[in-house]
Amino acid sequence: MSAPLIVGSVAYTPNVVTIWEGIRDYFAGSPAEMDFVLFSNYGRQVDALLQGTIDLAWNTNLAWVRTVAQTKGACRALAMRDTDTVFRTMFVARAGSGLGGLEDLTGRRLALGSRDSAQAAILPVHFLTRAGLTPGEVDFLRIDSDVGKHGDTGRSELDALRAVLDDRADAAAIGINTWEAIGRDELMPGALELFWESPVYSHCNFTALPALSEERATPWVEHLLGMDWDNPAHRPILEMEGLRRWVVPRLEGYASLFEAVREQQIGSRW
Amino acid sequence: MVNHAIILDLVERTAAVADGATVAVPLGPGDPSPLAETVAAWCARTGNELLAVRDGGAVIRRGRAPDPLVGLAPGQMPGTRLWMYTNFDCNLACDYCCARSSPQTARRALGIDRVRRLAGEAVQAGVSELLLTGGEPFLLPDLDDLVAACTNALPTTLLTNGMLFRGNRLERLRRMDRNTLVLQISLDSATPDDHDSHRGTGSWQRAVAGIRIAQDEGFRVRVAATLPAGQAHELQPFHAFLDSLGIAPADQVIRALAHRGKATAGLELAIEALIPEVTVTADGVYWHPVSADDTDQLITSEIFPLAEAIAEVRRRFSDYRARANAAAQWFPCA
Repeated sequence: MSAPLIVGSVAYTPNVVTIWEGIRDYFAGSPAEMDFVLFSNYGRQVDALLQGTIDLAWNTNLAWVRTVAQTKGACRALAMRDTDTVFRTMFVARAGSGLGGLEDLTGRRLALGSRDSAQAAILPVHFLTRAGLTPGEVDFLRIDSDVGKHGDTGRSELDALRAVLDDRADAAAIGINTWEAIGRDELMPGALELFWESPVYSHCNFTALPALSEERATPWVEHLLGMDWDNPAHRPILEMEGLRRWVVPRLEGYASLFEAVREQQIGSRW
Repeated sequence: MVNHAIILDLVERTAAVADGATVAVPLGPGDPSPLAETVAAWCARTGNELLAVRDGGAVIRRGRAPDPLVGLAPGQMPGTRLWMYTNFDCNLACDYCCARSSPQTARRALGIDRVRRLAGEAVQAGVSELLLTGGEPFLLPDLDDLVAACTNALPTTLLTNGMLFRGNRLERLRRMDRNTLVLQISLDSATPDDHDSHRGTGSWQRAVAGIRIAQDEGFRVRVAATLPAGQAHELQPFHAFLDSLGIAPADQVIRALAHRGKATAGLELAIEALIPEVTVTADGVYWHPVSADDTDQLITSEIFPLAEAIAEVRRRFSDYRARANAAAQWFPCA
């Protein structure tokens, strides 16, 4: 029997221990057993992947783009959550703000999340550029409260919303997950409203290097995709990790982030 | 005006703790009532649990608590067994009787109509075993009919002191179904002294004779002893004595003394710390047979429909266990 695959993950919530112990237990006794290593940020994790310390990295979309850049495209994505294929950025403002689209942000202040958050900083600027807004036309309030975690803690996005509620910003750009976590605009009637929703893009994936053979990767992926929402033993892990099922990667969903990183001249390292 | 930032605080603070852990979130300025409603709505929507609103804050558990009844042995699930107090009067006046039974105690009989209906509803409610107790059931002139109503429905255990197996009462015993009835006879010690000191002179001799009669009549006999904590050293000789009577090891039951009824010492059995066994008397439905004469453990005076009474016991039991689990979570956080 071969050694277990070592999967890296960033510890962005106390729940990651429970989640990964659950996933490790799910793989126990399968043809592709695994263990996990936790990192404090994505930079360390990708370094460990490149150094061969880990076989797989549970990467955000920015970590994926940077790994592609550092490996000159040699890395590959093995799987992602169903929710990772339909990620979106939501632009929200105070209810009754009158904002009807990105172009209305001209001359306004937009609160952004941590500078390394794809959903709350990098892609919002990209979408503004696509809407024809030139640098300087929108005043950015950057809130770097969870740098290194790529916005995974959601803390900077919550701070961006606080800035809107406190009238320190006219609008905020946040991920769909944070929008859902606050109950959209339904639990705060008269407080916030959505005025623009981005096209879908891809978020996290399991990233591997060529050093991981198909013989080892394939059984692992097949077993991962077998996790079942209707199985009471699997359900708690899927709920905590925020998915209903694991799916094959939707790579075209990263195109907008590759473009944004190029436009904003974001480096391939941390 | 609702403090909308409360939602942002809820998201941030619950994200900072592991699933199952609790966190306190200050409600902040504003009328606490709509704020509490907002917190409850957020918890319901996001799969978290609002445990309490107090002292200007909300106590939240991240994720949902597991079913408090998970992990309970199948036989401990409330409603698996149904106890019926056929009557409260007794030929003995044991000094630790939890039901306060004696020859002077009023009968308060359930009666054949209610027993028959209870047995039928018990089947529908998923009960798997019936247990008849008193008082002394063999004082009842229609005990064989009561027992038949039960044994026709479910496996049944009849508790008795075993002292009245003669004459008409022996004839009633002989009419009972040996295949579905177990007789549980009370005997507290291997020799007369301890038993008689609680139950009366000569009672040990007659109880042992009753065990032998029941065995000779072809009944499976279980022996149950009530043992005060100080008599634990007598367990071994007691088991040896029961072995000599031919009582199977699984049918040798030792019960702790409960501080209930006439007992002046024993285990304190508060309802919050007692796994329920649904018990019906002429006065209503009680939490447990050990407290069937105590109003603090009366669940409802409406015996029927039985399924509703069982559901109420389960609901309260789940509530007590959930609260105990929550308290266990809170203390380390204080």
